[in-house]
Amino acid sequence: MTGVVKAPGAFAITPHKVSLCILVHTYASPSQISVPFPFSSVSQHNRLGLYLLALTKSCDDILEPKLDQLINQLREIGGLLDDWLTDHVTSRLSSLSAPDDLFNFFNELRETLGGPDSGVMDDDQVILDPNSNLGMFLRRCILAFNLLTFEGICHLLTNIGIYCKEAISSSSYEHRLDDSSNDLESLSEYENMDLNLVFKKINEEMEARKKATEQVSFHLHLPKDLSTLVEDVEVFADTKPEHNEKGGESSSYASGDLLRDVDPDGGVFLRTNWQIQGYLMEQADAIEKHGSSFTFNAFELTLRQLQKLAPEFHRVHFLRYLNNLHHDEYFSALENLHRYFDYSAGTEGFDFVPPAGSNGFGRFEIALLCLGMMQFHFGHPKRALEVLTEAVLVSQQQCNDTCLAYTLAAICNLLSEIGFSTTSGILGSPFSPMTNVGTSLSVQQQLFVLLNGSLKRAESLKLKQLIAANNLALAKFGLTHVQRPLLSFGPKISMKLRTCPIIVCKELRSSYHLISDFCCEGSTMTTDGAFSTAWLKNLQKPMGSLVMSQDNGSGNNSNPFLFFTQPSSIPGSVLQLVGSSYLHRATAWEMYGSAPLARVNALVYATCFADASSSSDAVVVHVKLIQHLAAFRGYKEAFAALKIAEEKFLCASKSRILILKLQLLHERALHRGHLKLAQQVCDELGVLASSVASVDLQLKTEASLRHARTLLAAKQFSQAAAVAHSLFCMCYKFNLQVENATVLLLLAEIHMKSGNAVVGLPYALASLSYCQSFNLDLLKASATLTLAELWLSLGSNHTKTALTLLHGAFPMILGHGGLELCARAYITEAKCYLSDPSFSVSDNPELVLDPLRQAADELQALEYHELMAEAFYLMAIVYGKLGQLQQREEAASSFKNHIVALDHPHDADDPVLS
Amino acid sequence: MSSKESCRNELRTAIRQLSDRCLYSASKWAAEQLVGIEQDPAKFTPSNTRFQRGSSSIRRRFRTNEINSTPPTGVAYVSTPVMEEDEAIHGDFYLLAKSYFDCREYRRVAHVLRDQTGKKSVFLRCYALYLAGEKRKEEETIELEGPLGKSDAVNRELVSVERELSTLSKNNMIDPFGLYLYGLVLKEKGNENLARKVLVESVNSYPWNWSAWSELQSLCTAVDILNSLNLSNHWMKEFFLASVYQELRMHNEALSKYENLQGTFTFSNYIQAQIGKTQYSLREFDQVEVIFEDLLRNDPYRVEDMDTYSNVLYTKEYFSALSYLAHRVIMTDKYRPESCCIIGNYYSLKGLHEKSVMYFRRALKLNKKYLSAWTLMGHEYVEMKNTPAAVDAYRRAVDINPRDYRAWYGLGQAYEMIGMPHYALHYFQKSVFFQPIDSRLWIAMAQCYESEQLHMLEEAIKCYKRAANCNDTEAIALHRLAELHRELGQPEEAAFYYKKDLERMEAEEREGPNTVEALTFLATHYKTQKRFEEAEVYCTRLLDYTGPERETAKSLLRGMRIAQSGFPSMDVEHFHP
Repeated sequence: MTGVVKAPGAFAITPHKVSLCILVHTYASPSQISVPFPFSSVSQHNRLGLYLLALTKSCDDILEPKLDQLINQLREIGGLLDDWLTDHVTSRLSSLSAPDDLFNFFNELRETLGGPDSGVMDDDQVILDPNSNLGMFLRRCILAFNLLTFEGICHLLTNIGIYCKEAISSSSYEHRLDDSSNDLESLSEYENMDLNLVFKKINEEMEARKKATEQVSFHLHLPKDLSTLVEDVEVFADTKPEHNEKGGESSSYASGDLLRDVDPDGGVFLRTNWQIQGYLMEQADAIEKHGSSFTFNAFELTLRQLQKLAPEFHRVHFLRYLNNLHHDEYFSALENLHRYFDYSAGTEGFDFVPPAGSNGFGRFEIALLCLGMMQFHFGHPKRALEVLTEAVLVSQQQCNDTCLAYTLAAICNLLSEIGFSTTSGILGSPFSPMTNVGTSLSVQQQLFVLLNGSLKRAESLKLKQLIAANNLALAKFGLTHVQRPLLSFGPKISMKLRTCPIIVCKELRSSYHLISDFCCEGSTMTTDGAFSTAWLKNLQKPMGSLVMSQDNGSGNNSNPFLFFTQPSSIPGSVLQLVGSSYLHRATAWEMYGSAPLARVNALVYATCFADASSSSDAVVVHVKLIQHLAAFRGYKEAFAALKIAEEKFLCASKSRILILKLQLLHERALHRGHLKLAQQVCDELGVLASSVASVDLQLKTEASLRHARTLLAAKQFSQAAAVAHSLFCMCYKFNLQVENATVLLLLAEIHMKSGNAVVGLPYALASLSYCQSFNLDLLKASATLTLAELWLSLGSNHTKTALTLLHGAFPMILGHGGLELCARAYITEAKCYLSDPSFSVSDNPELVLDPLRQAADELQALEYHELMAEAFYLMAIVYGKLGQLQQREEAASSFKNHIVALDHPHDADDPVLS
Repeated sequence: MSSKESCRNELRTAIRQLSDRCLYSASKWAAEQLVGIEQDPAKFTPSNTRFQRGSSSIRRRFRTNEINSTPPTGVAYVSTPVMEEDEAIHGDFYLLAKSYFDCREYRRVAHVLRDQTGKKSVFLRCYALYLAGEKRKEEETIELEGPLGKSDAVNRELVSVERELSTLSKNNMIDPFGLYLYGLVLKEKGNENLARKVLVESVNSYPWNWSAWSELQSLCTAVDILNSLNLSNHWMKEFFLASVYQELRMHNEALSKYENLQGTFTFSNYIQAQIGKTQYSLREFDQVEVIFEDLLRNDPYRVEDMDTYSNVLYTKEYFSALSYLAHRVIMTDKYRPESCCIIGNYYSLKGLHEKSVMYFRRALKLNKKYLSAWTLMGHEYVEMKNTPAAVDAYRRAVDINPRDYRAWYGLGQAYEMIGMPHYALHYFQKSVFFQPIDSRLWIAMAQCYESEQLHMLEEAIKCYKRAANCNDTEAIALHRLAELHRELGQPEEAAFYYKKDLERMEAEEREGPNTVEALTFLATHYKTQKRFEEAEVYCTRLLDYTGPERETAKSLLRGMRIAQSGFPSMDVEHFHP
């Protein structure tokens, strides 16, 4: 009831638990034999033990399995014993026909447990350690039974009857509703008759067995046995999918009105609280990981059922919120968020530690934090900021430093994601204590201060994941922002206006340290629930594709059992963070201009963190890799890879893949001289950029950049210049510095192509200086190339300058540049030599011919007709000068071919367009 | 409406039939209405009117328009079904079963009637089975309550009862009472559409079973559903419609229906109580008080609906009357949710919030879905500054009935209290959505917008405007509107609202600091506008008050005189000595 937080570990005894108790009793029957009666080998014995452990800990569903499911699983693990085990369970269950039987049964169970000081015990006696997992389970069952009222015992008895009856009549499940529940008694009598016979027989057998025994100590089982055992366990782990299928089946069956009476006889029992919590955690992870591809309705049905069975279990509302959030259902997400926090006051769930100095105010600041993030998710940054501001205030009032740190991180994230054009008045007064220099700073500066503050706070609170996330954010910030003094007055320190790659690297590295921290303190970190989750995961895929497990396995695969009992203690979220640090590295190298390093980092992410990554991150990595392919291997391979990616991410993050496809199509159309298509693709990009939900600035920039390129290719110079100019204005306004450099370079190119090299020069120089201050090395090389081209077109007396510039940039271009850039550099080099009056072709023909041939080769993959034509033209001239007529004719005909292809673009061979 | 005499005859038969089938609450209701019919003056005897004395005075006071007793449409009468009597032996069994039933031994009833096939016996057997199941369900709910409030106790007889009744209804062997039970069972099983259909059939063939009507009413959650029902005309339908309107918050429609019904059932306590409840929703507290006082005089041991009365007494802060009422109900029946609620109200009024919460909790223990108790308990927790508990209580109310604007409002207030105005807005918005005519809600929302953290004055103004439009009794809105406009530097609008506020205060003959403020502003404003005549009027009025404003007024007047008389103004004078 109101304001009372239930103990999270509340435990109710159910028929399923009774049958588990029976099995535990069998497993550790108080006999003098090390391998108790029904088991023929140690491994068999242990297999049952492991199975029981798995059952008490697993959290793959909210409902306890029915008896027939249990029997099926027993069959899988029991091997030769299966008949005996199932018969034993069913006969014991059906022999419970009066309340007194239950009392006796639980008394018997107590004997299984050792005393409190059972650490020292006889070697030849099997006794369950009361502090072991199974021992605890047994004790909880006994305690729960002892707490039952007489009515409760009666209910348990009835439920056991139903539980058994269901298993027997499971074949005729559909007809079950028809036979009235009154004939339960007769049914169980009938069962007793049948099963008691079996039981008697078994009893005799047991007596016989007891006499002939070997004395092998329970504790001296060989590791070899254990490892074979693991393989055995895999077998029954395979039954899980089937299990899930059943769940899905029943939920689809239970749609609509039928849901209300899932089971009119009440044979449905929830698992223990921890198990459900664990299940919900897993689902929450899955929702966040898979985004909109997570099945909405099936999970909603499960939640509804859970809510019906446990109305006071408020976590359900939160899960429902998450589910709605990731399926873009604004109103129900909002509604459920409010409902969850109204009921729980933010103090329910796993992470809930009963407040020591209970202030009794609840933790509503967490509600605000969630609400803020939700508003941001749905594209209301202004409103999100308002809410988060309130969260800051409330966290400060309630002295909830953890929440404050997270809120600050969220605000930083928000600020860095959206480009604010205005420079002040966004962050109101509550931030002044943190920024403590008032609101005179620009948004970027405020963001920097906030980021640092948030990092410090996280460090002082030892929130490892938050520290890592903040490090990443700082790295991201350092990537695109130059360092500037924060104070506009006082003694000015001389500042280089440059970004600092070292800082970025340092931040990335320190975020990576997170994983080693988690490795060290693994055991203390894992709570009971997380432990069981990991346990089950490992049960399902003992040699799973987690990086860590692979490392473990490849190092020495002698002892997989060790791994089996010590599940990877690294939570998925940590892996995700570490993975995204690789993603950031890839991006950073992309910007700094090292293609191989970018590629390597992307590859590391794609191979190692594929399991832990969210689908959106995975898409980003694929996009990066495909872009790399396109630049270095040509379009054919890129499109082939794109096809695979499209299949892989069928519905998730479709848009990201779509954008990539459009980009590739646009580039290829430009190269082929297919301008109409290029314009069409460009327009489509523009549409994607300004969707209804919110404007994606990055995409918008890209779209208009491509628009300008298309115009340039169509030789509409003044229009192209106008577009590029307005784009520059926009980028400047929103502080998109990297884009500024690109746009300036484009402007220089436009002016060069329009024959206005003198006008182009300052643009190229400006771009160069941008590149310098942001350490954009590859872009810088490309700007240098353009500069060289500009000098070259100023006349033959500038060839020396051009050549020097070009040779300075060559290492960078050849080492990291894509095909197009290299080819352009080669051609420019050849042109430089050719236009140099002091250079004579006949003296050193290879100096010119070699780069031209290289260029032609590389351009082949790109189908870049215009440049190829140029290369062949130059080649033909050189050959002409050398007097090699045949080669000249060849080059000339190639030149003609490419000119024709450029003028008549055909797209018959285009499978991607469809 | 049909003649009083025929109503009376119909009801008399119905009561006998209903109580013969052990449908006691329906027969109780029918009997109340029977006695509620006004006696013909011709047959006037003192004994007959014993119940009806004393009620006429109030009726005279509050009947504004004379009710015309012509029926609005032709009324199709449904003839009373002839009782099909079972054979004598079976009749004996029935008698035994009925006496078991009266002793609440339901399973024995079912057992005695196990082989009977008469419609009456079948009905009683099924009904008894159903009740036995319900009783067991209640017990199990408590027995089975798990750590997470597992509440899946079900009536285990539903399946078999439903199976039997559906077979009967397929074979057309079912009477209206059976249909009523069938509808009840279907509703419980969640098959609402079929339940509605069956219940409509039941009330169409036997309209005097009020229980069937109430079940139907609980299934009419929207006007569309109501309009889609195919109900034949009968005077019982009027009762039904009134009650549906009341539930759907169409208060004026409900009120007119009830007043219409009072033409025939002049002395019905039921109607009187319903009118009281409707008036309460319309916030006509004075009327409600009179109505309930009168009701208590006629029916002193009544507990039903008395929680509404206690709410009125609470709002009016009648300590002793509330304590008297609480005393009275506790002597009558202390284990009724209403009684607990009344006591809770009393303690709340006394400021003993812990005790109050205890009684509300008791009320909720008796009826988990008791909406107003949840809300009232939320109020108590707010008073005790236990915000999480308050929020929880309100949220439960809202989840029981999402249209409960008081609980939404409470949620908003609770969050505003802990300094989360932005978060609170969501709840205030919900609350005004469901009750857009309540000025208090708008004002609360406006204050939220006005708060230091949000400072969204434009939105606040919009809210205050809405509040001013819906009869703001505390006169906060106009004043705040004027002040806000003044703060925002919009003197024209400010003057407009100050003037309105002033007019209002004059009409209500109130005076206070607000009057002075308004007068001062208006005087200064008109002076700067050079509308000296108006400014002078306000200045003169200001002179009636003491304090610094009086001096201001004087100096204003002086300044204006000088300006009007063409003399150069003071400061100009200063430069030209």
